[in-house]
Amino acid sequence: MEKNSTRNLILTLAAIGIISALLLTFVYEWTTPYIQANQAKAQKQAINEVLPNVEEVEEVEKNGNVFYEGYDNNGNRIGVAFKNSGGGYNGMIEVMIGVDLNNEKIYKISVLNHQETPGLGARITEDDFKSNFVNKPFGDYTVVKKPPTEDTQVEAIAGATISSESITKVIENGLDKITEAYGGGN
Amino acid sequence: MSLDLKQIVSDFKNGLWAENPIIRLVIGMCPTLAVTNTTENGLAMGLATSFVLVSSEIVISLIKKLIPANVRIPSYILIIATFVTFVDYFLKAFFPGIAASLSIFIPLIVVNCLILGRQEAFASKHSTPRAIADGIGMGLGFTWVLVLLGAIRELFGMGSIFGFTLLGEWYRPMVIMVLPAGAFITLGILVGIMNQISREGK
Repeated sequence: MEKNSTRNLILTLAAIGIISALLLTFVYEWTTPYIQANQAKAQKQAINEVLPNVEEVEEVEKNGNVFYEGYDNNGNRIGVAFKNSGGGYNGMIEVMIGVDLNNEKIYKISVLNHQETPGLGARITEDDFKSNFVNKPFGDYTVVKKPPTEDTQVEAIAGATISSESITKVIENGLDKITEAYGGGN
Repeated sequence: MSLDLKQIVSDFKNGLWAENPIIRLVIGMCPTLAVTNTTENGLAMGLATSFVLVSSEIVISLIKKLIPANVRIPSYILIIATFVTFVDYFLKAFFPGIAASLSIFIPLIVVNCLILGRQEAFASKHSTPRAIADGIGMGLGFTWVLVLLGAIRELFGMGSIFGFTLLGEWYRPMVIMVLPAGAFITLGILVGIMNQISREGK
């Protein structure tokens, strides 16, 4: 039989495709639990980071969004964590925002995922930048290029204004969703 | 099929210098330029590419007689893509940090012309032992240049190597080095130096 006959070509590619798919099925089954565990761990760490002294976390769905309500060891709700994402300079930025609903301020933020430029935009994950948002009251923020003088100002990372503005927008937008879901109070 | 040890050693050495994929053949430029902003990224990309290269050279040199010439390219790509997907899952499961920093460039190993090029130029024409030697040689040749590029760019761009700060507070990082332009500049200078060295060696 002719080696380059159409039938042979189809059979060869089909055989390689089937064997590949079979092998990858095993690899997928083997690695998926680890991948999910990694993601769950990263998320849990982020919640613990943005809500101070949290003992228990409860998942609540409101308006189609999932909020993580944090309780201390006396069962009092200390705040809510919310995962929001939006476009950055290179790709999506995913941020966990922890807020104190009673005082309408941010506890802390944590960056879960981003694709910003290493050494520039990627510095949104550093404490220097994240401290911009510690104990910040809710509001409309403006990104400034010099040390902030007002509560609503956020100091941009030098050379990464777009990344700084993007993450600020993601946070503002997240705060809106939280206020909407919780009506601005406990 | 005779096993000629000398031949195998020379196949292995070929990729390290004489036909080094980056500085001699100048192939596989996409990951070379894109992910060498830190030493760690360069190393991880080099090793991931080497694994895919060696594995697919083994498989293709074994089944080269079964593949009809008319569909050899799609067949190679399917085999390469299988190994790349394996690497992608593996890194996400066990090295989530590296997977996050290389992100899209792991799936893109599929279209790295270094890998397809070696299948077409070498694995499809030679015995399996020689293909393994070629794969390892080319893989290491690719890796050492990526690590060197990453180290230079990280040192000048962030003042550190492998994340360890080497240059203190006094050093003002050259931001351009971690941006794409820095990759072109560093690679150009590096290729120039390598050319000079091999010219003098003659």
